[in-house]
Amino acid sequence: MNGPRPDIRPSDDRKGKRREMRSLFHAISRFLTHRIVLRLIGLAVGGVFIYASFDKIVYPDRFSDIVNDYQMLPRIFINAFALAMPSVEIVAGVALIVGVWRRPAGLVATALTVAFMIGIAQAEIRGLEIECGCFDVTGMSATTASWDLFLRDIPLLFGSALLWRRA
Amino acid sequence: MPQTTSDVTDLSQRGSSCPLVCGSISLIRWGVRRFPHAARAAGLLVLALLLAAACNAANPLGIRWLPSPDGRVGLPRIFESRLPEIDAAQALALLQSGQAIFVDSRDQKDYQADHIPGAINVPQRKWVELWPDTRSQLPRDRTLVLYCYGGHCGLSTRQGKRLLQEGYENLLVLERGWDEWTEAGYPTQRRPQGKAT
Repeated sequence: MNGPRPDIRPSDDRKGKRREMRSLFHAISRFLTHRIVLRLIGLAVGGVFIYASFDKIVYPDRFSDIVNDYQMLPRIFINAFALAMPSVEIVAGVALIVGVWRRPAGLVATALTVAFMIGIAQAEIRGLEIECGCFDVTGMSATTASWDLFLRDIPLLFGSALLWRRA
Repeated sequence: MPQTTSDVTDLSQRGSSCPLVCGSISLIRWGVRRFPHAARAAGLLVLALLLAAACNAANPLGIRWLPSPDGRVGLPRIFESRLPEIDAAQALALLQSGQAIFVDSRDQKDYQADHIPGAINVPQRKWVELWPDTRSQLPRDRTLVLYCYGGHCGLSTRQGKRLLQEGYENLLVLERGWDEWTEAGYPTQRRPQGKAT
């Protein structure tokens, strides 16, 4: 009898599962890089960035105080950073929504999100109880920088990076 | 393409007179060709800086790009002269003459442990919650001296900004705050021993 050797079957199973996983991955990848899906992601990420920039542009002094609280930058750069960052958010957001220079805007959005995540993580690790300064800088609906916010930034990072690499 | 000898001479003369500019332009062109997305991202950043400069110039709460001359950050240009700093000796004179009310911007537990005699605690970190109840203790016609932990701790300046927006006019900030006051050995009002917080 030349029946199938029992030690071959698990290997075949593994190969089959691997093939299934690969095709699933390709399907997800194809879906995420579809023109319309990328357009929707651009709208969502761009909208978040534009919304986040409003308060900071109107109250640069309060945003500057919050940047100071993060204790990451030398004093000399704090005002300049607080002035420039919301404008970078708004320019990147508009580019993502309009669909002009979407990959460069995705690169800028990715860099911003990484900077937010580093800021929040170091504040948590150092035990700083500070306002996040994410959307509101007036203290009316202040959110404290926390790991929750860090996790909330992960989808934003994913969307931004996708637009940068695949748009 | 240079067509004549005079064109070539003109280009070479220009090249020798501006090697830095021409070199920079060549470098930028190479960068744009080699890293198109990064170059465009840099273009977006330049655009953002121009937008930031325009917004800040038009904003009544606009701040300097660098810290103010006395080293404070996040202070709107229009508030710089309206929120002057004083040293501990000047603050002591105001305390002894009774001309000013002292406002402690530190957290409640630090105020309860020790503070400048007669100071009213308005913790800046709890401003939104506590200000409605504290407002009545701070008359607008009196001079208020604001202090927090130390040099440029920021809480007193922030409180000063809020108070200016609330319509207070006579505000002074103790430059190096509680640190300077205690280092000078000036009087403090310590919490009685054994009293619970």
